Amino acid sequence: MSETRKTVIECKHVSKTFYSMAGDNLVVSDLNFNVYENEFVVLFGPGQCGKSTILNLISGLESPTGGEIVVSGEKVSGPSPKRGMVYQTTNLFMWYTVMQNVEFGPKMQGVPKKIRRERAQKYIDLVGLNGFENQFPVKLSGGMQQRVGIARAYANEPELICMDEPFGHLDAQTRYLMEEEVERISNTARRTVVFVTNNAEEAIYLADRIILLHNCPTSVHKEYTVDLPRPRDYTSPEFLALREQITADMDNTL
Amino acid sequence: MKIKLKEMGNSLFFSLIGIAAILILWTLGVKFTSVGLLLPTPLEVLQRMAYTFSNAIGRELTLPMHLAVSLRRVVIGFSLASVCGVVLGIAMGRFRMVEAVCKPLFELVRPIPSVAWIPLAIVWFGIGETAKTFIIFMAGFVNIVVNTYAGAKQVDENMLGVAYMLGANEIQAFFHVVIPSCVPYIFAGMQVGLSTCWMAVLAAEMVSSTEGIGWTITAGQENGDMTQIFVGIIAIAVVGLLLAVLMRWAERVLCRWRVRGK
Amino acid sequence: MNTEKLNTAKKQKRKYQVISLLSVCVFLLVWYLATAVFELVPAYSLPSPVKVLETFITKFHSKAPDGATLPKHFISSLQVAMSGYVLGAVIGVPLGIAMGWFKVVDKIIRPVFDLLKPIPPIALIPVMIVVFGISLQAKAVLIFFSTVIPCILNSYSGIRQTKQIHLWVSQTFGASNMQMLFTVAIPSALPMIFAGLRVAMGSSWMALVAAELLASTSGLGYLISIGRSLLRSDLILVGIFSLGMINIVITAIFNVVEKRFVRGGKAE
Repeated sequence: MSETRKTVIECKHVSKTFYSMAGDNLVVSDLNFNVYENEFVVLFGPGQCGKSTILNLISGLESPTGGEIVVSGEKVSGPSPKRGMVYQTTNLFMWYTVMQNVEFGPKMQGVPKKIRRERAQKYIDLVGLNGFENQFPVKLSGGMQQRVGIARAYANEPELICMDEPFGHLDAQTRYLMEEEVERISNTARRTVVFVTNNAEEAIYLADRIILLHNCPTSVHKEYTVDLPRPRDYTSPEFLALREQITADMDNTL
Repeated sequence: MKIKLKEMGNSLFFSLIGIAAILILWTLGVKFTSVGLLLPTPLEVLQRMAYTFSNAIGRELTLPMHLAVSLRRVVIGFSLASVCGVVLGIAMGRFRMVEAVCKPLFELVRPIPSVAWIPLAIVWFGIGETAKTFIIFMAGFVNIVVNTYAGAKQVDENMLGVAYMLGANEIQAFFHVVIPSCVPYIFAGMQVGLSTCWMAVLAAEMVSSTEGIGWTITAGQENGDMTQIFVGIIAIAVVGLLLAVLMRWAERVLCRWRVRGK
Repeated sequence: MNTEKLNTAKKQKRKYQVISLLSVCVFLLVWYLATAVFELVPAYSLPSPVKVLETFITKFHSKAPDGATLPKHFISSLQVAMSGYVLGAVIGVPLGIAMGWFKVVDKIIRPVFDLLKPIPPIALIPVMIVVFGISLQAKAVLIFFSTVIPCILNSYSGIRQTKQIHLWVSQTFGASNMQMLFTVAIPSALPMIFAGLRVAMGSSWMALVAAELLASTSGLGYLISIGRSLLRSDLILVGIFSLGMINIVITAIFNVVEKRFVRGGKAE
């Protein structure tokens, strides 16, 4: 299967050490995995084990101390609009309206106002925020802010979108809603997505493929291909079986 | 809405009672005690105020003209201080090199009360407009730099990362992230700065000037004219209040995005 | 590799420290060269840094030309400042708290206070001089006035910002109104009250200098105004820097006291 698809991300023997006055800290060690075009990959692992660091490395906000990351044939050397990011905390520009936030990326690249407004509107509609275009983010709820974050990442039309525990701070109910929403969005606007989470249900519900990570230092522990029919049922026996298996495997990584 | 109106009426009522009580006490005190040897009655002050609206205090300037002279000085000094203060504050907050060079020198100047610059300004620039502009500048500058610098220091690096991720270059990130997130701090500095400037212009005019609202109260003191001093003080307070209201309004417009609720 | 990285982080820091030091040295050198060596500006308008230092040292024991030594001026200023400031704080803080907590007090005093608030203390100097003459009283009352207002203002809004939920919690534990005031409202208002005391210190210091400039026979403000009339800018600079240094010391004392009293960090 993998031979027929284009490889988007290649992580080759990636490692990352943080240096500080207190001492060095090996967070990622010998990490190897590939992500293919239009695939929804979930990086799944327990606690504080450097999952966010992997996304920062892929997005180019930080550079690896060993190995290299290649995205679409180019070695990552800095942040690029080709790689979008949705964050754990919303990280919206609080001083801009919803519309201004979503059209930020295209605006920075000099897309003419009319086109970028249209494009931004399309994604605002897609995440269901029609009518909130001129609100400032302070007035939106956490879930709505996170939707703006997703629309902002999509509106830049990147080849790859990284999501870093985007629903970590939401309440359980909103979380379920947002998971369905992401499922719907990624079906409508097909993109390569790398999604980080520590929630097994969320991982199985969304993923084409799950990569289970070791705890510190982080490396790949095991991979699962999830080919349950979508939209998935949280209570189906297959779902529960997979969940049990992953949870058991995860306990071994601790 | 109804409750709010009622509440407002209620507090207005109490305010009026409070103010009336002061005015009555003041008048009674002046009329019937030895305080009257020193203080004018509120009515006298009010009459004088109306009188000076069209008649000169001192040689030729009326009360509004004196105010205009002082305000002009404040506007010039404060604008200069705002521009320089914001530029230096942001430069110090964002570039470590600028910080390393300028911060120790700024720390030398920062703790000096702005009023203390008056004698030096007079020695350096004489008693003309330059000296006053300098004093007002120093009064505003320090406050604005301190606040802007604090603002530029707390710019969220993650937000800059977000901007870069979305394809902004350094300059775009500066104007779309650094500046907007400093604006509330800049305004806090400008608010304090403006009221300090207003105080500094008074002090400067009291020490050496032949016109301006600060001069009118020292002139009153020299002539033993308490009524004129009170007229001056009231005018100063009213203008000071108006300046503060103006700044708050500007802040509300420019920092709309921080307001929660409806 | 690790130690190398660590060193670069340290090196960077040291590099900027050196630059800071250099910057001050260059500033002093330029000042020195411009005044003492090339004499670009007349000595009466800007003396050389060496001269300022000399004056500073001689002023410690010499009474010329203003009639008192530097420590004397300093003590004189401090005495006035302290008497007015302590009185202002002792009256202002409780009054502000009372205004914030008891609605009746608020409604009666608030309008009076709103009238007085926008008057800059400096504008009151002529009134004080007419009423009290050139005396310690005049300045003390002035300082009192410039202290009491920020103290009231901050204590008031500190109490007003007490979180309703904290009050509810203490109510469910059966606290009385007074207990709530002393165990919840005042502790949570402490950071604001301290901020008020700080602001008060700044503004009363400024008012004092202005008062001493205008009418006084001692104090640091008087020292610099004498320097001005004698065209002795070295004297002015000594006065200005002393004022600055005192300000730094006071700020440091405040930091220590605040750390001691405001426990559990400042509220957002």
